[in-house]
Amino acid sequence: MNNKDLDIYVLIKQVPDTRSKAGVNPDGTIDRAKAGKMLNPFDAYALQAALNAKKMGGSNSKVTAVTMGPPPAIDILYQALEHGVDKTLMLSDRRLAASDTLATSYALCQTLEYAFKQNGRPGDLIFCGLQTTDGDTAQVGPEISERLDFTQITYCEDFSISDDEVHAKKIIEGGTQLVKAQLPTLITIANSYQKLKYKTLRGAQFVQDIKRSSKEKQAKYVEIIDLDACHAEELRCGLAGSPTIVSKTWKIGVVGGNCTMHQGKSVTELVTEVVQDLPVLEEFVKI
Amino acid sequence: MAGEVMVVAEQVGSKVAPVTLELLGEGKKLAQKLGVNLSCFVIGHNMQDAVQEVIKAGAQKVYLADNSELAEYKTLHYRRVIVDELSKWTTPPHTLLMGSTTTGRDLAPRVAAFFETGLTADTIELDIGPYEHTSGTDETKLGYFPECLYASRPSFGESLKARILGPWKDPQMATIRPGVFPKPEMMESAPEGIEVVNVACSFQGCDYRVEIKETIRELETKVDITAADVIVAGGYGLGSGEGIDLLKQLADCFENSVIGASRKIVDLSWIDYPHQVGQTGKTVRPKIYIACGISGALQHRVGMQKSDHIIAINKDPDAPIFSFADHGIVGDLYQVIPEMINQLKSNRNVENKELKNA
Repeated sequence: MNNKDLDIYVLIKQVPDTRSKAGVNPDGTIDRAKAGKMLNPFDAYALQAALNAKKMGGSNSKVTAVTMGPPPAIDILYQALEHGVDKTLMLSDRRLAASDTLATSYALCQTLEYAFKQNGRPGDLIFCGLQTTDGDTAQVGPEISERLDFTQITYCEDFSISDDEVHAKKIIEGGTQLVKAQLPTLITIANSYQKLKYKTLRGAQFVQDIKRSSKEKQAKYVEIIDLDACHAEELRCGLAGSPTIVSKTWKIGVVGGNCTMHQGKSVTELVTEVVQDLPVLEEFVKI
Repeated sequence: MAGEVMVVAEQVGSKVAPVTLELLGEGKKLAQKLGVNLSCFVIGHNMQDAVQEVIKAGAQKVYLADNSELAEYKTLHYRRVIVDELSKWTTPPHTLLMGSTTTGRDLAPRVAAFFETGLTADTIELDIGPYEHTSGTDETKLGYFPECLYASRPSFGESLKARILGPWKDPQMATIRPGVFPKPEMMESAPEGIEVVNVACSFQGCDYRVEIKETIRELETKVDITAADVIVAGGYGLGSGEGIDLLKQLADCFENSVIGASRKIVDLSWIDYPHQVGQTGKTVRPKIYIACGISGALQHRVGMQKSDHIIAINKDPDAPIFSFADHGIVGDLYQVIPEMINQLKSNRNVENKELKNA
């Protein structure tokens, strides 16, 4: 039985909700202002992993959910509280606009350092989703790990914690690997991990209570800080702190544009047309 | 004078990964445009054959870190040799490329964060070109940059491609998906006089904080969708995971066939990740690609648009997939696929076929 109290952090992000049609322009582009928002689906696995990790530590272990984003991103912090995290922290500052992955990792690293300091000791574990659905880079986690000099386990499918070590199963090229990593460590959770459990009734009521409470009480569970609070250098954040920029975007034109459409006939006829038009199909049919 | 173009080689069991050869092929073009050497950083153990291989693929200089600690990929050890070596250079590489594999995506961000440099993920196009930065809060960034690494990738959920660049700091880094670039023509034998620099491996105590207990490679059973001639792929239009069985029945009609999948249904755990086609899955170029209930989002399209023949089956006549498929069937896949299986099975009986034609 491991009784070491663990300080666990989980990094989450609010992303545009692509499940709904809202904010999707007819040409397929996204109007981010109009689109609905949701917790990055990959982060749901990380959240569950963080909550599971808490049970592997001592009775004073705790989970802090951390995000960076505009004020409405507070919704995902409430969501995390409903699922059972102990505290949440948000870095929100206009000067963060247009951050690339390196600038994001710097700002989040400063935020984590701030939390470590508030807490009186550095974190033991940081969980991240594999990637976000709006950036798809999978870079921010390992970049934070480098900055904090943590060990890292990417594509983690399962793990257990004992003493100062994490035993994990992770995906590698062409297989899986069992590794043992010393704490502190940063873990990115693969989407083959357990699904996020439903929020508890207690969690939901707790969040309702917080929302109705005084500002002071709210701040105990939902802390919002800016760049100055976490001593982040402005020139290392946002557009100024990003070593990369998007210099140009363009629509990808229709590739083939010569699609022969088969429609408005019986299924048998439709299939017959395609099979006859494409003799190559039969070349590969098993004899 | 710009630094060189460097490819960090990936290896499994001392063998060079295909993506490394693909990157050397494309890296050669970038190096020629810049007028610099193409180099390859080879990391592993017993890598002599691998060194010959990368030279035959076009590397003009090789940096070799050969050490028993490096036999299997380990984040901290691999990071150590790259970071230590490049920190010694007065002129860093202009461009540093890695495969966008589970390995490259683990290693590249650590190297980028160490050097505080830019990194573009999952690139699908590379080039060298100019850029002028005319506005911004940071005046030190203003200026004209004649030779930037252009790394292009699809932009989130949009039918847009974004060019990402960052000429302010070298190395300019990118990871590139396997299969995006063709394998280069290999030289018959390695040319003489290619310099191989032995890189020192000075591991520190902190590099040993992660230990590999066991490595399980499923080389025999592993699904390799990139080698199939026929891919029957399914998307959210299948409606449920049970639809996979129907895809299997159709795939079973063909030689060398395999099931492919959109990301959506992999996320839903209807099928395993090795089947995923697209930006965050595999890039495939089969002879025949049958897309069933796949809408054709850009992320999927970039992984399969180079297939020889694309057949799309979808209920929605406005689905984007019909804009780049060769043949589109508008209909219910649960009716179309059984009929297709039926026709393919009956057609393979030659007599039957002749009867039909008569």
